[in-house]
Parts: sequence; structure tokens; C-alpha cells
Amino acid sequence: MNKINFSKTHKQYVRRLRTNKALIIFFRIFVLVAFIGLWELFAQTHIIDPFFFSSPTRIVKQLIQMAQAGTLFTHTWVTLYETLLGFAIATVLGYIIAVLLWWNENVRRIFEPYIVVLNSLPKIALGPIIILWVGAGTKAIVVMCVLICIVITTMTMINAFSSVDDGKILLLKSMHANKFQIFRKLIVPNTMPDLVSVLKINVGMSWVGSIMGEYLTSKAGLGYLIVYGGQVFKIDLVMSATFILCILAYLMYFAVSLIEKRYGRK
Amino acid sequence: MKNTLEFKNVNYYYQTKTDEIFALNNINFTVENQQFASLVGPSGCGKTTILSLTAGLLKPSAGQILLDGQSKVDTSKIGYMFQKDQLFEWRTVWKNITLGLEIQKPKDKARKLELAEQLLKKYDLYGFINQKPRSLSGGMRQRVALIRTLALEPELLLLDEPFSALDFQTRLSVCDDVYEIIKSEKKTALLVTHDISEAISMSDKIIVLSHRPATVKEELSLNLSGETPLKKREDGMFATLFDKIWRELTNEQN
Repeated sequence: MNKINFSKTHKQYVRRLRTNKALIIFFRIFVLVAFIGLWELFAQTHIIDPFFFSSPTRIVKQLIQMAQAGTLFTHTWVTLYETLLGFAIATVLGYIIAVLLWWNENVRRIFEPYIVVLNSLPKIALGPIIILWVGAGTKAIVVMCVLICIVITTMTMINAFSSVDDGKILLLKSMHANKFQIFRKLIVPNTMPDLVSVLKINVGMSWVGSIMGEYLTSKAGLGYLIVYGGQVFKIDLVMSATFILCILAYLMYFAVSLIEKRYGRK
Repeated sequence: MKNTLEFKNVNYYYQTKTDEIFALNNINFTVENQQFASLVGPSGCGKTTILSLTAGLLKPSAGQILLDGQSKVDTSKIGYMFQKDQLFEWRTVWKNITLGLEIQKPKDKARKLELAEQLLKKYDLYGFINQKPRSLSGGMRQRVALIRTLALEPELLLLDEPFSALDFQTRLSVCDDVYEIIKSEKKTALLVTHDISEAISMSDKIIVLSHRPATVKEELSLNLSGETPLKKREDGMFATLFDKIWRELTNEQN
């Protein structure tokens, strides 16, 4: 970066860029503050009924109360654990399955229709079966989470593997590379950006999986709090759990976006 | 017979579900040691098929392909350079060049690495070894691709339209570079091109192929004066040869 003798127009251009960026950040915060402020105001003045809509102060009170009782961390941890476990298992297993399918063209063609069916099947429909097979509780929730993420992982990765440039494969073949070398030297690094997109998709999907699993069967967790809160009309509880979910999902997304900066599509 | 490539009565059929395409019909030619030969012919006639057969990526339906008089071709002596440079964007120039060595793990790897380093220095690419390919120009990328091929020390180079992705000006200068590298490293080369003037300016021998199923229509030995392909274009015989080959190819289409 050389900083010599830029023209006046360039300075103006840079200033305009900066001003624009500042404006965007300002309005982002403004939207959030306005949303919370109006919500609180309407609840206080009973334009909306806080019994059904809760309010920011009630959520904060609820959170403090739960934090003091220690239940906040227990529930959060339960859901986070299920989600991360489901996320990890689904990504690793889905990737391995994609590799196996890529390895043998015939195997891929045999399993293709089944994968398509599995992908279009709403996984929640398998809920009762999962509970019967692995039992109610954490195991069932993780399995639900894995089922939701794994098919899309496999499908995305197998597509990525097969769309690697044939010319590059031919180059490696002309160097007498074996299949494993082609995989390691070309397929893996070339499909890194696709793996990152899979991670991003799975961040969202794994939360869907674990919360759905908790709706089905659970004794703790944020999904449990939401269902329980809904049933006993404790909207403050529902909102608090949702709020924690927002933050966790964002943090996980942020972690993946750090990986993306390193390995994502340039 | 050293480093000599021979095609003897080679036939090739491509198989598809509904058809059997007769691609090569009784192909016979020889490329001598350190000779630069070119294959020209109408597009789709099977020029690339001949390279793939030579490299062992395809097996002939009939006939024999001999390298050093051996019918069991030692493909480790063959280097293949493609139309696109096929550099791996996630690897540095150096890592791209040593890709073949990484795969083949030859016993004399250390010596070959040294050779690769020398080649890079010799052809003005050493300053870029830690850069990613995307920061190189098209011509430089093609030279890196050539050195990647040469690093494996092949005796016979197969060049499949290696310049066709470049703009005309770059093409002429990369042509000169590649020619010089191949000649000074004393390699045998077989070039596929649809550009007649490129074939004339680079080759010692031109093999003219007919429409599919390809047969060898003519083998021309060339001896143009000039040190580089660009200089050779100034030779008086250039236009005559161009005309001759052009007519061969256009007659073909009627």
C-alpha cells in the first residue's frame, strides 16, 4: 500500500466510502434500539399486551432470575451440546459418505435415488421412530439433528467432488497419480470452499435439528423451555430462550465465517 | 531408437451407447529423438486422441505404439502439457511445479528439485515461486506449466494446443520461449495444433491428418532457417508450406 500523492478526488472518494460505512453501522444499531424501545414503550403503555408479547425488561428480569437460579446455563448448555454434537457428527459422517460415493461411480448411481428421497422427506416425520429406536432424550435429539444435516452435507459435497475440472484430473493422471492422490492433492483442496458453505448451511440446520428434537422429547434445553413456556403461557420464558438462541446461532455463524475468511471462495 | 516414438498401424474406436466412432484409421508415423513434430488436421479429427494414446490414457483398438522400440511404453518418460495451464490456484508457483514430484516420489527427488529450481531461474520465474498463480500473466502461467512438466524430466513432451488460450501477441512470445526451452533441454516433442503457421514455425516435421476417421495424409520434413519460431516465419518457404498444408486441409473438407 503506497500512500503517495493521491488526488483530491481520491480523498473525496475514500471519505464518501467511510461516511457510507458509518451510516450503515449507525442505522443497523438504530433499527435494533428502535425495535427494543418501541416494544418496551408499547408494552408499558399496554398498546400490546405484555402477557402475550412480553417486553424487553421482562425478558431481562427473566434472564437474571434464571441466571441466579443456575437454570439458564444448564438449559443453554444442554442445547448447545446437542447442536454441536449433531453438527460435528453430521458434517464428518456426511463428508465421509460423499467420499465413498465419489470413489465408486456405480455405488453413487445405486444410492442416488435413495439419497434424493431422504433429502425430500421431512425428517420430523421420523421423530417417533427415532425415539422408539434410540430412546427418548439427548440421543434422540442428536440423531434428529444429524439426520437433518447429513443428507444436505453429502449431496453438496458429492456435487462439489464431481464438478472438479476433468482437465485437472487428467493432468494428475498423466503424472500417474492414483485415486487417493487425486483425492488428496486435488479434490480436497479444490472443494474447500464448498465444505465451508456446507458448514454455513449446517449451522442453521443443526439448530433446527436440536430444537425440533427438543420439541419431540426433552427434559431440558432451550427448545424445552420454549415448549414448556408456551404451554403454561409464560411468554417471558419463551422470549428469553429465543433470545439466547439468537445469540448462540449468531456466535456459531461468526465462528464459521472466520473459517470462511481463510478457506472460502475468493 | 532412443526416445523415438513410433505409431504402427494404430486404429482407435470410441465407444458410446448408441454408436461406435471410428477415430483413427491405420495411423503410421515416427518422431525421432529430439525432433519437434506437429499434428495438424481438421478439428475433431483425433489429434488429441493420438496424444492420449501415447500417454497411455487410452489403449489402441489395434496396432502398436512404440517408445524406444518398446511396445510396453514407459509412460514415466512422457510429459503432457495441456491447452489450459491447469495450475492449482491454492498452491504457490513452487508447489505447482513440484506437484508431479510429490506424486511420483522419485528416488532422485532432491536432484530433480534442484533441476526445477534451475529451470525457474533460467526462465525468469524464480522471483515468483512464493506467489499464487493468479498473480501471473497468461504467458507466465504457461511457462510455469511447462516447467512443471519438465521437472519430471520426461524425454518426450506431448503438447496439446498449449498456446490456444493466449492472446495473439503473448502466444508468439510464449511460443518462442517454449520452443527455446524444449530445444535447449534436448527434448522430443509432439505438438497438436490447429494453427498451421504455428506448426510450420515450430516443427521439424508436420504430420497432416485427414478428416475422421483420421489417416496420415502427408508427412512433411521442414528445414526453415531461423533460430526462433518467430524468425522462422520470415523464411521464404514459410508461405509456400502454409499454402500447401492449407490446401491439403481445405481439399479435405470438399
